[in-house]
Amino acid sequence: MKAITKPRPKIKFRLFLSIILLLILLNLPFVSAKIKNLFYSVSLPLQKNFWSSGSDTAVFFKTIVNYKKLAEENRNLELKIKELLLLNYEVFDLRKENKILRKALDLGLETEFQLISAEVTGRYINSDAIFINKGSKSGVVKGSPAVTEEKMLVGKVNEVYDNFSKVLLLSDRSMVFNVEVVKAEGSFDEIVPGIINGAGNFQLELKLIPKEKEIEEGDSTITSVLGGIFPKGLYVGSVKEVKGVDIEPFWQIKIQPGVDINNLNKVFLLTNPQ
Amino acid sequence: MIIIVFVAVILFYILTLIQTSFLAHFPSFSVFPNLTIFAVLLINLLEKKQGYYGLLSSLIGGFFLDIFSGSMFVGFYMIIFLFLSLFIKFILKSNVQIAMF
Repeated sequence: MKAITKPRPKIKFRLFLSIILLLILLNLPFVSAKIKNLFYSVSLPLQKNFWSSGSDTAVFFKTIVNYKKLAEENRNLELKIKELLLLNYEVFDLRKENKILRKALDLGLETEFQLISAEVTGRYINSDAIFINKGSKSGVVKGSPAVTEEKMLVGKVNEVYDNFSKVLLLSDRSMVFNVEVVKAEGSFDEIVPGIINGAGNFQLELKLIPKEKEIEEGDSTITSVLGGIFPKGLYVGSVKEVKGVDIEPFWQIKIQPGVDINNLNKVFLLTNPQ
Repeated sequence: MIIIVFVAVILFYILTLIQTSFLAHFPSFSVFPNLTIFAVLLINLLEKKQGYYGLLSSLIGGFFLDIFSGSMFVGFYMIIFLFLSLFIKFILKSNVQIAMF
C-alpha cells in the first residue's frame, strides 16, 4: 500500500476547515436527523440478521456454559410442574371468574392502549438504548412507553426519526419514575411506593423506601400512576438485593429488570397511555 | 485514494453494525467490545509514520460511531479519534519505534 504524501500547510489548513464545516453541517438538526434516518433505513436488513444471529449464538454458548446445571434444573422443573398441576386445579375456578370479570371490564392490553408493534434491530453504543424499526411515519411519538406482550416495561421512546426510533431502556441513568412494590406472594395488603432510578449497564435501583417497610428478595415492582411518565400496572422487575446502611434512613435496593435485553426481539409502543 | 476511502467506509460500517447488533449479545463484565476503536488503533499503530490512513480511518470510524451511538453531538467520536490518531503519530514519530515481525 502506497502511503499518501505529506500534505502542505495550505492543504492542512483546508483540510482542517473542511472538517469544521462538515461537523457544523452534520449537527444541523434537520440534516442530523435525515442522515441518521438514512443510515438506519439502509442498515435495517443487515441489523435484523445480525441481531437475530447474535441472539441465537448467545443462547447456544449459554447452553454450553450451563450444561452441568441443566440436569439439576430439569429435576427442579419437573417438581415445579407437579406443584403447578396441583395449583392449577385450585385456580381453575378463579380463572373462570377472572375471565368473566376481564370481559366485563375490558382489561386487555389492546383495549387500554393503541399499540404499535416494532422489531428491535440493535443496541446503541455506550448507552442503555435500543433501535426499533418504527418511526414517525408509523405514528410513533416521543415519550411513548415501550412494553413486551407480557406487559413488562422496556423503556420509553426518546428520539423519533422517519422510519426508526430510539427507545431509552429503564436502566438508562436519566430514567427516574414512580413504582409500587408488591410482595412476592402477591398480597396487595400493603403497597409500598418508591422510585426507580436507572443505574446504567442494565441495572436498576429502587430508592426512597424507608427502613420501616419490609422488603424482601423476589418482591415485584410495578409502575404507579404518580409520576405520570408510564401508565399504571406495568411490570418493571423484581427485588434482587436489599442492603441497609446504618446512617441512612432508606434501603439500598437493586432490581432485576423483568425484560432480558438479549432475548428481546419485539416491543409494543403505547401511543395513548391512559 | 477514492478506492481506499470506499473500502474504509464499508469496513467501518460493517464493524459498527456488528458491534451494535451482533456483539450486543455478548457483554463481558457489562462491557461490550468496541470493534471500531480497535480497528482505528490497529491501523494507526501499524501504518508507516508518514501515512495518513490512520487519520482517515479515525474520521470514518468516528463518524459511524457518532451515527450509531445516539449522542446528540455528531462529531464527538470523530474528534476523539482524530486526537487519538494524532497522539499516536506524535508518539511514534518522536519517541517510540514498534518492531513489527
